[in-house]
Parts: sequence; structure tokens; C-alpha cells
Amino acid sequence: MDGWLRREDERLLTGAGRFVADLRVPACLDAVFVRSEVAHGVLREADCSAAREVPGVAGAWSAADLPDLPPMPLGEPAREWPALVEDRVRYPGEALAVVLGDDRYHAEDGAARVRTRIDPLPAVVTAQESAADTVRLFDGLSNVALRGEAGSPIDGEVWERAAVVVESDYRQQLLLPSPMECRTILCVPGGDRLTVWSGHQAPHRLRQDLAGLLDRPEESIRVVVPDTGGAFGSKSAVFPEFIVVAWLAVLLGRPVRWVEDRRESLLVATRGRGQDQHVRLAADAEGRLLAYELTVEADVGAYPHLGVAFPMQTAWMATGPYTTPKVHATVRSLLTNTMITYPYRGAGRPEATSPLERTMDVLARRLGLDPAELRRRNLIPPEAFPYRTPTGRTYDSGDHHAALDLALRTLGYDGWRAEQARRRADPDAFPIGIGLSCYVERSGGERGSLHEYVGVEAGDDGTVTARCGAASSGQSHATVFPALVAETLGVEPARVRLVEGDTDELPGGVGSFGSRSAQIDGAGLQHAAGLLIEEARERAARLWDLPVEETSWSDGAVHPVRGSAAMGLSELVKRTGPLRIDERYEADMAFPFGAHAAVVEVDPELGTVRVLQVVAVDDCGRALDPDVVRGQAFGSIVQGLGQALYEGVPFGDDGLPLLDGGLLDYLLPTYAEIPPIELGETHTPTPRTPLGAKGAGETGCIGTPPAIVNAVADALRLAHPERLQMPLTPDVVWRAAA
Amino acid sequence: MRITLTVNDAAYPLEVEPRRVLADALRDDCGLTGTHLGCEQGVCGACTVLVDGEAVRSCLMLAVQCDGVPIRTVEGLTGPDGQPHPLQRAFSAERGLQCGFCTPGFLMLAAGALDHDLSENEVADLVRSNLCRCTGYEPIRRAITRAAHAHQNGQDGRHRSV
Repeated sequence: MDGWLRREDERLLTGAGRFVADLRVPACLDAVFVRSEVAHGVLREADCSAAREVPGVAGAWSAADLPDLPPMPLGEPAREWPALVEDRVRYPGEALAVVLGDDRYHAEDGAARVRTRIDPLPAVVTAQESAADTVRLFDGLSNVALRGEAGSPIDGEVWERAAVVVESDYRQQLLLPSPMECRTILCVPGGDRLTVWSGHQAPHRLRQDLAGLLDRPEESIRVVVPDTGGAFGSKSAVFPEFIVVAWLAVLLGRPVRWVEDRRESLLVATRGRGQDQHVRLAADAEGRLLAYELTVEADVGAYPHLGVAFPMQTAWMATGPYTTPKVHATVRSLLTNTMITYPYRGAGRPEATSPLERTMDVLARRLGLDPAELRRRNLIPPEAFPYRTPTGRTYDSGDHHAALDLALRTLGYDGWRAEQARRRADPDAFPIGIGLSCYVERSGGERGSLHEYVGVEAGDDGTVTARCGAASSGQSHATVFPALVAETLGVEPARVRLVEGDTDELPGGVGSFGSRSAQIDGAGLQHAAGLLIEEARERAARLWDLPVEETSWSDGAVHPVRGSAAMGLSELVKRTGPLRIDERYEADMAFPFGAHAAVVEVDPELGTVRVLQVVAVDDCGRALDPDVVRGQAFGSIVQGLGQALYEGVPFGDDGLPLLDGGLLDYLLPTYAEIPPIELGETHTPTPRTPLGAKGAGETGCIGTPPAIVNAVADALRLAHPERLQMPLTPDVVWRAAA
Repeated sequence: MRITLTVNDAAYPLEVEPRRVLADALRDDCGLTGTHLGCEQGVCGACTVLVDGEAVRSCLMLAVQCDGVPIRTVEGLTGPDGQPHPLQRAFSAERGLQCGFCTPGFLMLAAGALDHDLSENEVADLVRSNLCRCTGYEPIRRAITRAAHAHQNGQDGRHRSV
């Protein structure tokens, strides 16, 4: 199309993209939040009076100045999360006051004049400290926010009779999703309507939440998602700052926006992961897995929210790709003095894959088995699908052996093992290690969010409009979905355009998260296009006075089975009126899978890790656009590399994250850190939709980290690699090697 | 202070506070929002523009430092005939962007270096200067290499020195 591979490309490459911060609205006010510099404490004072005197400041408010400001939705009444701190600070950066200015500079001038006083309390930032309940985030209430389990408790006898039992502890560190565009919201009141622009994954959910918070009908709010600079799970909720901005826009009758900056994001954007884990894995002498037990203590941040339940995803996925007959996972979610954890690319599945795959390598060493062979003996065979796991999932389809074999072949596994042996015999050579990781992903969503609005409409000018409730934050929807609809209808892709991300343009929608867009929206659009064809044939049959069976569809037109007449969509619409399909499409969740492998070289004296090769074999069923899927797979692997080696949120004794240096402290991978990465694919369509697409794009975060950590453990020949906890900084590796 | 920013050959007479950073002046005062702010501390490079032909982080430079100095932003990459710059074509062809937020910074970083032959190492140095969270960088490396080759092989009749 005009020499651009994607429809998104021209505007994004010419500076014509429109992200929320790029929108120009007259008389718009910029919001700046005054934030707590302590992790936990009692707010004694938040005095905005001096701020109000600052030139260019339109107003400044603390919670006391806005008594009707609603709290965050979806919380517990006893543990309410106020949009501005009322009396107790529970995480660093929590908003104490807001200043609106005619530009960001003046608002920041005002924020600097807000006087605040907080009496600090001891802060808890680890699950273990939190569990002790000696410091409570909510007086009189335990810090335990949720207990859950998947599977059934395993008899002691199983462990006693097993030939080998491996026990280990792991940490899934807190991560910052870090899209290049931080969070944004722009609220524009007008008449009895409020238009909300936000870089967001779920515009209809945002509209629903805001309508509830502002106590007004949903129809009075329009949410529009313009270009969005990445999300990775972190932009699908309503946040305290959003509530304040929407509230003030309505109160003042003026446009107000909040454009989060990176400094704020590092403090108060949602975090991913955050689990302390204990595992037990039992096998017989031949390496057949007998039982697996996973105990999760999750540090979920300061307030009960959706993230509190997310460790259950880890519990449900604990079985992984193996036929282990007994699996039991327990979860405790514990409140800590940090911003909440929330879905981040992978969301619960990386935390399930990592402990199991690391323990598989320990088990292989214990049994004297090759780690690839140990996995082969236990992978769920293709004929066993649908496979019901002991932790309650029913996997739709898979060929794990094929994925593993392809990964090993692509890697040149035997060659690397020979090189490893050669180096082990050479005292001057740096050791190398090979790490494997087999995973199962879950895509589409959970019960209750497995549906989506989809629609296809034929215009009288020959164009076709596709509509769906998804919202792209870089996933190429505007290119991929029209191509799918065009293929289904047999028309030129250029004739099809996509409408999404605007609640005024769509009867409903769920959004884009959990790798659901291709799987649910894609299958739905294909379904809707099929319904449109049926309707077109029925209309044509009536016009031609034929039974509908004597019509057929090809190349975007209805044909009588006998004869040569044909009627295209535009003519049909002109003669029979508007032709539009609107559907609520629902499908079951699916289970993408794959095998990742990594080779690393370690300098034990410096603790440095050089990744020599990564191979990722992913199976997402039918890939709607294989190049788009590969692009996301590659980027996802690099984020996985970030978790394995670089990214983390360390805390000081005062409970403050040690990230004062911003992105100089939170180390996102740069090109300097990118190893040779090879992608491989197998294709096992999901039988749960006619389209056969499973979710894609999260698997690098799921499969890659344990492959890399296993490779480092293998290089160092660690019998019990508990000291290797991510991120594998030189310090961590050096200590483990010592 | 009264200054004139000369951006993409157009003059923007402005009244700015001395503290105003170039990125904000470009985005808010000149209305050129193609330059994005990703970290405001000079790490991510999303705000990279060319000042007097040199790639700079526009979040770390003050607008008043650029009075009368030629500036080029992503909006000025497309040729006067409306033809896309080879870098723009190459980024699309190599899938060097997904969400596109960091893209203008990478484009301008590369545009500033494309006036001489780029070795593989020089391309790598360019790519490792900025952050991207979507692509994993390799497609960006390919895109810059592709544009550089087009430039070196003289297939790039439209390319101007910037």
C-alpha cells in the first residue's frame, strides 16, 4: 500500500502520529501531582495555599479540598484506595495533591510550593516482612489480601516414595513494564458530554469505570484511544491520577490532561511479577515426574486491586507442559508499601514457567539425565489433547515434542554440548552453558472476558468497514484485521478499513490484553464477515427469486450458481439498503506453547554473562500476519532478556525504590545487549475457533528468562542454583560462582 | 526571551522562558509534535533532533541555545516533493517500528549520520544510543543499514544533507 508495509507506518514515520500528548485542545490545563517521598506514613499536612498564588496555576487541591472525590473502583471497602491520600501514605509517590497549570512548567512551579508533612512509619516491601503482620498497611487488618489454590494437596507418601525430590526457592522480581510512552489521559468536557483521550488497552472498560466514578451515564462519556506508545499490560486500568483529572475537568468545565513523565512512571506505574516461590518436584528413577508443588508468596503492592488475584494465574498454569499427575499450587497475596503489581507482558505465566523450568534442570542434573531428554520423557504428547491439568486448565492443542526438537535443531544443541565439553577441558576458556525452557501460555482471557464486539459493514461505495473492541498499542491492528476481513470476503485489502478504540463508534468492546486480539477479535471478525456473506446471499437470492442454495459467493460478489450474473457488495447495498453485521463473539481460551533455548558464556571472575545465542520456537496456531507475529516475538524475547539479566526494583531500608537515576538505574536492554536471536515456528491451530489463531507476543517474556538462567547455572555447574536470582547482575553471578 | 527557532527551514519567532527545553518549544510552541518525550533525562533518545546537523537530545537542550541555529525534526525528513526519506521507507520495509513512539528519535539519529558512509559498527553504535521497547532493535539496525546502503549506492537521489 503506497510503499508502506503497514497502514500505521506513514503517519508514525513522518511525525504525523497522534499520541495523547500531541493533541492540542484550547485552554487545556496540565496536571502535576505532588507525590509522597516516603513509602509509608501518616499524612499530617497537605497545604496547597501557596501553590494557588503561583502565576499560571489554575488551582491546587489536596484530598481535604475535594471531599467528594471518589476512590479507586474494584477495591475492598475496608481497604479503600483514595485517589489522593487522605490520611495514610502507603506507597512511595502516592499522590498527596494535584496542581493544575496553564502549562506543565507553571503546574510544576505550583507543585513545588505545596507544603506537605508526613510522619514516617516503618515500610514493608517484601512478602516475608508483610506476612509477619508486625507492620500493617491497614490498622487492625492483616496484610494478607488473598489466599488461593489450584489442584489438590499432595500426600506426604508421594514425596517419600519418589526416587528424587528437588526443593528450591526462587524470586520473580518486580519489573516495570516501561512502554516508551508513559500513561496519558486528556479529559475534555463539552455540553453534557465528557470526551476522554487516553493511551489505553480497554476503552470501554475505562468508560464504564469513569461513568461509575463520576456517577453519570456511560453514554455521556466518549473514550478515544489514539496512537498509543506501547502498553504491555500496564495501560488497561483506571488509575488514581485518571480519577483526579476526570473529576477536575468536570468540576471546572475545562479540559485537563495528565501526561505521566518517566520519573513518575518509575515510582507509580504498575509493576509486574513480584513473587517469592518455593517448589518441590518429585520424579522416579527414570525421570518421570510424580508431583509438583508450588507455593507463591506474592508482594502485590499497597492496595487490594485486580493484581491481588493475578498470582492465581501462576497457580492455574503451574502444571506447565508436562504430564505430572499431581500438581498443587498455593498463593498468598500480601500487601506491601509499593505501587500495585498488575499484568505485565506474560502476567502470571512467566512466574509459572520460570520455577518449573529451573527446577527441571536441577532435576536433570540430579538424575544424570540430559535436560532435553528429561523434558521429552514428560512433555504432554500430541494425542493427549485436549489435556486437563491437575491445576484446572484444559489445554486445547499442542505438539511440544515438535517445538522442543525444532529448538534443539535450530540451536545446534549437540554442537554446543561438544563445545562445552571442550571448554571444560581447557582451563583458560570461559565456561559456556546451555539452557532450555518449555512453556505453555494461556491466551484469550478468563471466563467473563472471552467475548468481544465485532462487526463488518459493506458501504454503497464498495468499501468495507470492520469494527472491533480491541485497541492497538503497537500491534498493527489497522493492517492485520482489514487483511483478514478482505481475505474472508475475497476483496482487495485496500477496500477494508478498521474502526477501533472509540466508544462512540462501537456498540461495545472489551479491549486488548491477555493476547486476545488475534484469537478473539480475529476469529470474531472472520465470523462476522462470514455472516455478512450469508446475508448478502440471502438478499441476492430474494432479488433474483432464487433459493439461497442456488447462490454462491466468491471474490467479493454473489453469483447465481447457474449463469454469469454477479452482484458486488456496493450494488447490493444500493439495491437492498445498509448491510451491517454486529456480533458479540465468544470463544474459549487457548494455549500457545513453545520451547526456548539459550547459550551463554560466563566470566566467573567478573560475573559477566554474554549471551551467545537465543533460539525461540513459538506456536501460536495460525499466525494472521507472520511478520507481525515475529516482530512481536522478537521484542518480547528482548523484554525477557531484560528480566533475566538487567531489570529489577531494588529498595532501600526506608522502603524507597533505588531508582533515583531513572532509566540509568532501571536498565532496559539496549541494542548493545541483543544477542543473536533465531525464531522458529510450529503451527498447531486451536480447534476452539474456525480461525485457529492463538495469542502471540507474550512468549518471549515467558520462555526466555528461564532458558537464560538455566544456561548460566549450567555454565557454572551449580548443583543447587538458588543463589542465581534474577536479574543476573555481575554481582549475583560472581557470588553464585564463588 | 525573544528567540527565533529555524525548524525544517521555517522560522518560528518565539517568546520563551530561559528554562524552556528545546523539546517543549518544538512540541508546544512550534506545534511540531513528531518529536516525542520518553524520559526527559537524555537516556531514551525519543526526542532526538538535529541541531546544526548534529543529533541532540532535545530534552537536554534549552530552546534559547538554539536561537538562529538550523534545526531539523522528523516533520522535515520528507522531501519537498513529498517523497519519503529513504530512512522512512527502510523503517517500514524492515518493520523497524511497532508502536512508533521512539521512531522519530531513531530516524533523526540516523539522518544525522547518513551523510557519510556508515560501517556496520557505526550503525550498531547509532542503534545502541536510543531505547525501543517494542522491536528488540534488530529491525531498526536492518532499516538503518538498508537506508545507508541505498545512500552509498547512489540510489538515493532525494537524500539531502541535513
